[in-house]
Amino acid sequence: MSGPSAQRATATLLGALLLVIPLAVAAVLFASFASAGLQRTYTLFLINLVAVLGLGAFSGNSGILSFGHVAFIGLGAYASAILTLPLATKASALPHLPTLLAGLEWGLPAAFVASLVLVAVFGLAVGLPIMRMGGAAAVIATLGLLLIVHGILIGATDFTRGANAFLGVPRLTNIWTALGVAVLALLVVRWFRDSAAGRQLRASREDETAAKAIGVDVLRRRLVAWTLSATIAAASGVLLAHFLGAFSPSKFYFDDTLTLLTMLIVGGMTTVSGAFFGAIVVTLTIEVLRRVESGVDVFGWETPELFGLTQAGLCVLILIVMYRRPAGMFARLELGEAWIRGWLGRAGGTPVAAASTPVAADVAPGLLRADGITKNFAGLRALDAVDLSLAPGEIVGLIGPNGSGKTTLVNVISGLILPDSGKVAVDGADVTDWPSFEVARAGIGRTFQNIRLFGQLSVLDNVETAALAARGTEAVPADPNARARELLARFGLLDLADRPASALDYGAQRRLEIARALALNPRYLLLDEPAAGMNPTESNELLRDLAALRAETGIGLLVIDHDMSLIMRLCDRIVVLNRGEKIAEGSAAEVQSNPAVIEAYIGRKRARQGASIPTSEGVS
Amino acid sequence: MAYFLAQSGNALSLGGIYALLALGLAVVYSILGLINFAHGALMTLAGYVLVFAAVLGLPFYLSAPLAILVVMASAVLLERIAFRPVRGASGATMLLTSFAVAVLLQLAFQLFISTRPQVVPLPDFLTATVDLGSFAIGVNRVISVVVAVVVLIALNLFLKRTVLGLAMRAAADDFNVTRLMGIRANRVIATAFALSGLLAAVAAVLWIAQRSSVDPMMGLVPVLKAFIATTLGGLGSLLGAVLGGLLLGAIEIYLAAYLPDAALPFHGAITLGVVILVLVVRPQGLVGASRELGK
Repeated sequence: MSGPSAQRATATLLGALLLVIPLAVAAVLFASFASAGLQRTYTLFLINLVAVLGLGAFSGNSGILSFGHVAFIGLGAYASAILTLPLATKASALPHLPTLLAGLEWGLPAAFVASLVLVAVFGLAVGLPIMRMGGAAAVIATLGLLLIVHGILIGATDFTRGANAFLGVPRLTNIWTALGVAVLALLVVRWFRDSAAGRQLRASREDETAAKAIGVDVLRRRLVAWTLSATIAAASGVLLAHFLGAFSPSKFYFDDTLTLLTMLIVGGMTTVSGAFFGAIVVTLTIEVLRRVESGVDVFGWETPELFGLTQAGLCVLILIVMYRRPAGMFARLELGEAWIRGWLGRAGGTPVAAASTPVAADVAPGLLRADGITKNFAGLRALDAVDLSLAPGEIVGLIGPNGSGKTTLVNVISGLILPDSGKVAVDGADVTDWPSFEVARAGIGRTFQNIRLFGQLSVLDNVETAALAARGTEAVPADPNARARELLARFGLLDLADRPASALDYGAQRRLEIARALALNPRYLLLDEPAAGMNPTESNELLRDLAALRAETGIGLLVIDHDMSLIMRLCDRIVVLNRGEKIAEGSAAEVQSNPAVIEAYIGRKRARQGASIPTSEGVS
Repeated sequence: MAYFLAQSGNALSLGGIYALLALGLAVVYSILGLINFAHGALMTLAGYVLVFAAVLGLPFYLSAPLAILVVMASAVLLERIAFRPVRGASGATMLLTSFAVAVLLQLAFQLFISTRPQVVPLPDFLTATVDLGSFAIGVNRVISVVVAVVVLIALNLFLKRTVLGLAMRAAADDFNVTRLMGIRANRVIATAFALSGLLAAVAAVLWIAQRSSVDPMMGLVPVLKAFIATTLGGLGSLLGAVLGGLLLGAIEIYLAAYLPDAALPFHGAITLGVVILVLVVRPQGLVGASRELGK
């Protein structure tokens, strides 16, 4: 491995070490010098850190909060407790345990692994329906999961002693076991965040629709992250069980959910460093408030017991962060990410070849066809039996007055909405009812009228994510990073590669969106108003870029725009829609002189007076 | 058969309460995208107003409307103080805010009132039963069904026949566009919270009519169920919330009535399991309010 991907891996590892080293040093210090009580506090902190890292692996990357992870912690704790309970205790405490389990008294390593496998399988099983719901409904479903598991832990008295305390669990967790698991969790979570899967998931967090349009299988990415995060949460549960020695189902319910969520969001939900610092801040807050809660001696005056002070403190912490810095105290940057990258960048140096290699210079045979597409929205006919074809190497303009159905047609072709009738085929394959990410992988790229970038990801990551998603399709980019840089160079964005996409100006955002769509190596590219908001100079540049693109790569372009000058100069063929119907098709000259087109654009009366459609909007 | 009919009465009564709560959540969610955890605290507050009104010697027919008014005002106030700073923020931000506010309110109830349940004196007629030939049903259940139906019809009329109601429905459909039409956002949002307060308080009165006590956690469980109901019905859909509430009530009651004894400890888990099965078949809920382009 060499080049950018090795560099990225090094950056990930160094970033993780920045957190691991202080963690280990602190453990040594606590173990050598601190009181037993403080050592226990630090051990508990490490256990909580594992839990919040697990939660962050899902919620941070997907943007979907989970109220259900404490359930995984609880299941991990009970599973390991049952497996390790000494036989004598087991016989008296859990007399109705199935014989298979009744005879087991495993050590911690075996129980640890078995518990994690168990919870991983359970997490995958419940994740399947929950991830399908998506968004807010999924959040509520995770809440349902917490309730279900709580109910099961109380109901399954033969295994758990019901609501009673589960006692006598061997106390096998010490500061070193907790440190080991925490370091492992840190490395895994940090690696996952920077992995192809993690970056694709983060892209979907920024914009789910756009992620699908560049070929990201959002459902699958979420499911993988969910299962991984459940497993890490279970690891924290195992540690907790053998740290506490005794617990009941009420330990794994709303109080701990509140603590865990606070840890996640105080530092910043989207980064591993955020979870790390959140765990520290919350642990300190809890330690202080707990002492005040039970009454402290202030200059001889005993404060009264303040019931619920700890919880209230956490709530206030949440509110402060939500009101003042919703992205968290440590914002969105991973610790050290920027300077490690910068340092590696200078040291390694990745010169980018200015000349881009054409992907498919010879025009491949094939055709994108939409046949008889009809779509109704609540009784309104948006598209009425529209036919459209686009060959590789061809540039087709799609024009029509506002509301004529242009964007709807692009949405149908790209798989975002299902037509009521009609068929979409790519090179002979019927893709009509394929999910949009598969349509994207089949070779159809697109941009959006209302630019949809992954705002918090860097310019480079926006494009690289798309190149990553394209792996496994026929058009395999050799190195996603190199491919992304090449595209950025082509669209004059390379200097901005490390900036967040949301910081770009309007024209640059439009160009970035095109670059991102091209990272898929599509054979057909659908551009929805690429020149909107551009000045004449910019739109002339765009015209030149698009024409050059077609000449070099043999891609087929479908261009929607209101800039008639651009459309007339760029397109080989123009399709005109009006009120959902195709009213004309032909060369620029043909449609310009077509009476139906003139009428659609400027009305019947003026059409009779021999007016022609404007060739350009505004000054040019 | 008589047993089945009696259970059906229970299912309707419980489902009606869930429907009221779910509708209150959906009115706010459809407009703001806020999943309001504090809805349960509003319910609990209604209970405490009933307790204090009884201490002051107010009769039930006065204390119940009073509770409703107080809770409506509190809901509007809650939006003004706690939720306005995060208006327009991400769903996660709003959700965490309401979660923190809900826990704070619950702690306030524990600290300033009591952790122990307080008795709510109920008029005698609520505790009577009606004989319906083969089976008897509590007056409180009958009233619960009747009130739920009346409130739902009245709300439907409000939404369909008044200008403000129309604005609410438009806002629920697409808030940004509605604002462009010149509808005042604050007015629509305040109305949404007032309505959700009304629904929470009515649901609380009906809930208490069957239990005659209130504690700081009272609102938690029914509102969690109402969350589930909104998801079951289709998050963001008002009709879905009502249907989801009724269906959840039915699932819960019939399972409790017909599950074998051995499975009864898992009643809650099985209920939610059935809900998940429904959602496996229909991920967008009963009334799929699936919005195109992830709007």
